[in-house]
Amino acid sequence: MRNSLRILAMGVALLALPGVTVAKGIKEPLRDGYYQALKGKKVAFLPGAMAMDLAIGWLAGLKSELEPQGVEIVVRDPNFNIQAGAQALTQLIAEKPDVIVVHNPDVTTYAKLIKQAEANGILIVQINMASLQKSTAYVGVDWVEMGAVQARHVVEACKGKSGKIAIVQGDLTAAASAYTMSGIESVLAENPDIKVVSNQSASWQSDKAKSITQTVLKQNPDLCGIIGFWDNMDRGTAAAVDEAGLSDQVYVATSGGGETKAACDMVKSGAYDLNVVYSVPNQGANLASTIKYLLSAGVKPGEISGQMYTTLTPVTAANAGDEGICWTMKQ
Amino acid sequence: MAHLNETLTRIRYRIWPDHVVGEILSKPWMETAIPVLVLVATFAILSWLVPGFFTFAQLSIIAREGGELGFIVLGLSIVIMAGGVDLSVGSIFAVTNFIVLLLMHEYEWSAAPAVAVTILAGMALGAVNGILIGYLRLRAFLTTLITLIIFRAVYEIWTADHATAIAMSLPDSATWDFLGIGLIRGIPVNVWLFAAVALACHVLLTRLRPGWHLMAIGGSRRAAYNAGIAVRRTIALTYVASGGLTAIAAIFFGARLASVGGNIGVGMEVTALTAAVLGGITLGGGRGSVTKAIVGLAIVLIITNGMTAYSASGGAIRMTLAAILVAAAVIDIRWIKNRHRIISSVYVSPDYLYLPPPPSCEAKPGNAWAVNDTLRGVDVIGLGEVEGPEDVILDRNDNLYSGSRHGDIVRFLAPDYKRMEIFAHIGGQPLGLAFDREDNLNVCVGGMGLYQVSPAGEVRKLTDETNRSWTSVNDDSRLRLADDLDIADDGRIFFSEATRRYEMSEYAVDALESRPAGRIICHDPRTGSTRTVIDRLRFPNGISMCDDGQSFLFAQTSAASVSRYWFDGPKKGRIEVLIDNLPGYPDNINKASDGNYWVALVGMRGPALDLAMRMPGFRKRMTQRLPFDEWMFPNINNGCVFKINLEGKVLYSLWDPQGINHPMITSMREHKGWLYLGGLSNNRIGRYKLPESEADPAYVQYARRWGLPT
Amino acid sequence: MHRFQLSQQMIVSVIFVLLFAGLSLLLPGFANTENLLTLLQNVAILGILGLGMAVIVIGRGVDLSMIASLAIPVALTLQLADAGHSTALAIIAGLALSALFGAANGWLIAYAEVPPLFVTLASGLFLAGLGQAFLFSTEAVVWPEPLQFLSAIGRGRLAGIPNSIWIFALVAVAVHAFLSRLTAGVFTYSMGDNPMAARLAGIPVRIMVIVQYVSSALIATLAGFVMAASVGSMSTRIYNSTWIYDVILVVVLGGIGLSGGRGSVTNVLIGTLLIGTLLNGLTILDVSFPVQNLIKGFVLLAAIMADTVLNPRNEETAQQGDI
Repeated sequence: MRNSLRILAMGVALLALPGVTVAKGIKEPLRDGYYQALKGKKVAFLPGAMAMDLAIGWLAGLKSELEPQGVEIVVRDPNFNIQAGAQALTQLIAEKPDVIVVHNPDVTTYAKLIKQAEANGILIVQINMASLQKSTAYVGVDWVEMGAVQARHVVEACKGKSGKIAIVQGDLTAAASAYTMSGIESVLAENPDIKVVSNQSASWQSDKAKSITQTVLKQNPDLCGIIGFWDNMDRGTAAAVDEAGLSDQVYVATSGGGETKAACDMVKSGAYDLNVVYSVPNQGANLASTIKYLLSAGVKPGEISGQMYTTLTPVTAANAGDEGICWTMKQ
Repeated sequence: MAHLNETLTRIRYRIWPDHVVGEILSKPWMETAIPVLVLVATFAILSWLVPGFFTFAQLSIIAREGGELGFIVLGLSIVIMAGGVDLSVGSIFAVTNFIVLLLMHEYEWSAAPAVAVTILAGMALGAVNGILIGYLRLRAFLTTLITLIIFRAVYEIWTADHATAIAMSLPDSATWDFLGIGLIRGIPVNVWLFAAVALACHVLLTRLRPGWHLMAIGGSRRAAYNAGIAVRRTIALTYVASGGLTAIAAIFFGARLASVGGNIGVGMEVTALTAAVLGGITLGGGRGSVTKAIVGLAIVLIITNGMTAYSASGGAIRMTLAAILVAAAVIDIRWIKNRHRIISSVYVSPDYLYLPPPPSCEAKPGNAWAVNDTLRGVDVIGLGEVEGPEDVILDRNDNLYSGSRHGDIVRFLAPDYKRMEIFAHIGGQPLGLAFDREDNLNVCVGGMGLYQVSPAGEVRKLTDETNRSWTSVNDDSRLRLADDLDIADDGRIFFSEATRRYEMSEYAVDALESRPAGRIICHDPRTGSTRTVIDRLRFPNGISMCDDGQSFLFAQTSAASVSRYWFDGPKKGRIEVLIDNLPGYPDNINKASDGNYWVALVGMRGPALDLAMRMPGFRKRMTQRLPFDEWMFPNINNGCVFKINLEGKVLYSLWDPQGINHPMITSMREHKGWLYLGGLSNNRIGRYKLPESEADPAYVQYARRWGLPT
Repeated sequence: MHRFQLSQQMIVSVIFVLLFAGLSLLLPGFANTENLLTLLQNVAILGILGLGMAVIVIGRGVDLSMIASLAIPVALTLQLADAGHSTALAIIAGLALSALFGAANGWLIAYAEVPPLFVTLASGLFLAGLGQAFLFSTEAVVWPEPLQFLSAIGRGRLAGIPNSIWIFALVAVAVHAFLSRLTAGVFTYSMGDNPMAARLAGIPVRIMVIVQYVSSALIATLAGFVMAASVGSMSTRIYNSTWIYDVILVVVLGGIGLSGGRGSVTNVLIGTLLIGTLLNGLTILDVSFPVQNLIKGFVLLAAIMADTVLNPRNEETAQQGDI
């Protein structure tokens, strides 16, 4: 409203100028408002932990896109501790930044705080992991689709084989796990010949993933596919398959943020047959774009609520070497 | 010039309270000094680093977290103080958080029963630990490690089934919302509750019997068991308390966030343990307090919150916390180890005391102080049988009583005083003795107070405390060195307490200080009340009633003087110096048969010490630089008894300069023409036959004082 | 007069035998060589850590920082090698960090006289924080190409037996030799039994403490190398897990009392085998992770309860401060 008034005023001023006949040096009507809307704004970033490659990628995107516009970015690092995260978010609400980018540890912990923050006039953008509490924007992966994509590939690979697959989950209570699982289940429901022989949680730990996979492979030497929930953890899964000498027989599917070493290199080496990648730099750019839009449009919390799902790229041996599929973290 | 200097010294020592430093350092709460200093330092550094962080709004947020974590720290501290440890608090937190959310969100209970059931559930989980550790005697560390795993597994199994249902519903309860976000006077509701619970715990641990039992078990489990304390039950109850307090924390957490995330409570035991250790609560038990727990909690909260707000990385926060934890532990351990050493080097704080040159004791005619050999040939009673008869007294049947170092009152039977029996056992060393009208023997007992022994030998405590003086740092309500007493006509007992700064075994150090730290106290058996009547005396010692029934004489050993105090009558409240500048240090005073008073001199003054008394700084350096054995102490090995009248005139004195038969005299009692002599470090009682001209051979002090029995 | 008494070690052995027999009979696919090797391989790292912890516990200490010294020095080596430094330098840097860290632990315990529980609680936190804040940008450091020659310690087989089991066996023999053949081992027992008496007897107690904590740090780092080689990366996030509790349980469950002076390598092996068998059997049965933990917890509880019932402690013989 304020912006349009300003534009109107500018137009009136232009008309009032005598003898303006040539359209040279005409004032661009948007940029002043845009820069003013962004300048001096404060964006807070609350990841699960700054030690994750995802968080580093997102923060890099935010900084490169927003800082040149005069937006201040502050980071709070709860270091995987959700109580610390909740406390940091509570403190942020009292500090009143304009936007908080929240990476939820699960669907419930931050829900009340997100509601409280938006009630206090702070825009909440959720990244990659949506809370049950909807906020102004969600940027990130569609986990149900993620599960479905992996499951379809594994089902395809198991055609004509034993049909036995194993699932290596992260934390059972993590919502991403639950959503991914529902995606997998919907695909499996259409393929009754596929049998899940083991569905275990490795708590995001690679050594545990390896132990579980080793045991499962010993019990089911004819296993044809494994769906893992995170590529960093599934290094262990892949190592177990590799050690058992079953790399050709067992189709290993996993997912992750597309960092070269964790994704493309592993697919190239044959450790994973599939890594469904959500590009973290793209997510970072999406985040920044969303924030730019929200701030320049002067959106108030609660007025709108929208999603921006990240494109999922299945990385297989066929495209792992292609330019731009993976991204490399700067040290 | 020298004169001016001495005046300045005198004024400086009158104004500046040197003794306060040592007394403050020896307070039990000084153990918390290091954690408090760490807290102040972290607070100062962070408020400098993060400007505007410590605003009321931010502090309120920190306080709300503190009001949750605090309950856990408190519970854990209680367990640790009793000698255990509870690692399962994080898991109990998760389970009780789940239970309260299940009841509120899914089952839609109202807040009150849900809260009650949750606390009971927390106590039940704690009781599992308690029964295993308290009654079955399992090891706390391992057991709670295993229950940590079990409770966490239970939490994960339950949340897998109920997480969605809990997340999808919202309880419609104002009470519940109030618990989560409510403020009372701008301060979060849980902080108020925490303050109340912490206060209650503090009172429990320091003032009530169960708390003492708990600390006793932590201090020495075996000794507590042998003392008859219900060790097992008490230990079990500490875990129940820990579980219950953790449940309260979980309720507030649940009300605030309504989260059943997978990581809830993980690592919480480490945070709580860190807080407890930072506060200075010793693992293994016996040492700790609520204050320490809160100080430790505050340090952890300020560091984590402050550094997060400073945008520090998680790694940097961890490093800081670890560094402070180690530094605090190192300093705390050094402090605890060396505290008594520091105290002993600053506690002794000599005062300025000027005594004029003493009268001469040269053997010249007409000199009442003339040294003689009169007491050289005294009879000896109970040689080797009695140790440390500070005071001696005789009853109406001529039996002789005295105290002994073994905590007994011994009795030598008339007429020959060859047979000794133990009349009563009190426990502390009896000092001054006095019979009252009913034949009860009233006794001042060093380190214990004022006691009474009936004629049948039954011991009864009259008092061991007086009113606390508000200017004293030490809690001086308890009697440390009750010394001598006498009894007024109406039964009131006036007794002296030589010093409130030292125990009986260290009385010589008080003499070295010569600080006015003693007092005279009145115990009224009719009302049972005890009040200090004269304060700030320099080692008050002997007391003897005057015949007017309104006043008594008292000696101040360090001040080398005898004074008279009126407790009744027209001169009530007045003190008059009867005689000062005695050649030695007066001890007990007792009545002579001719109406005058016997005074014992326990030791002689010397010019070197008199000079040292005017140089407090010199004596201070001496106590700091020389070992105890090398210190300069007043002489206490000289036997002298003198007689004085109420005008303050010394009539004559009896001496034993060689100190062969009776080396030290602290008291004397005239009885039927004999003078009985006691000495604090003697192994005998002396008996001197007074010349007929100077003594009434029929004089019995009891009869003179209380009349003949009816 | 010889009175038969069931020790904790025997109780756990009995439980282990019963469990093993039961699983062999009831669970097809349990009692074959391959699965048993897998079982051992899965607990090899836990076992190695347990051996390091055993040395400390026998000397009446505890080392909660083992997971940090497992993760951070190894990750440092991997990162240095990846960044193009020579492999020798990378490995020496990792081991030096580990040894220095152990020495710092020992110094704080022996000379500053801070209880080991606090020292290692704090030092683990410190090392993990150091890694996060200054050494690594992300939690996971990948096993780099230049170190491929070393990856055999975690992968592959020798004489049909996985290499990690060989390493476990090697460490077990070394620790056994240390404890039972070397003077330092005898000193360790006497320190654990009565530190005061050991000191009066002229044993260099303080130096020994440093030796013990350096050895436990190095053993943990070795376990870290095996683990990183095995899965192809080192996740420093492992420090956040409650793994250290499993290590303590393996040690104590086997019968090494936390009050020190008792126990041997055999105890660690038995404890490790029991946990390994339990977890392997439950994984085969496809029991979910929380239920596995629940069952594990109850078996552990049963073991220490049996010990308490059979070897009751009473108020008269209890040691003060023995928690």
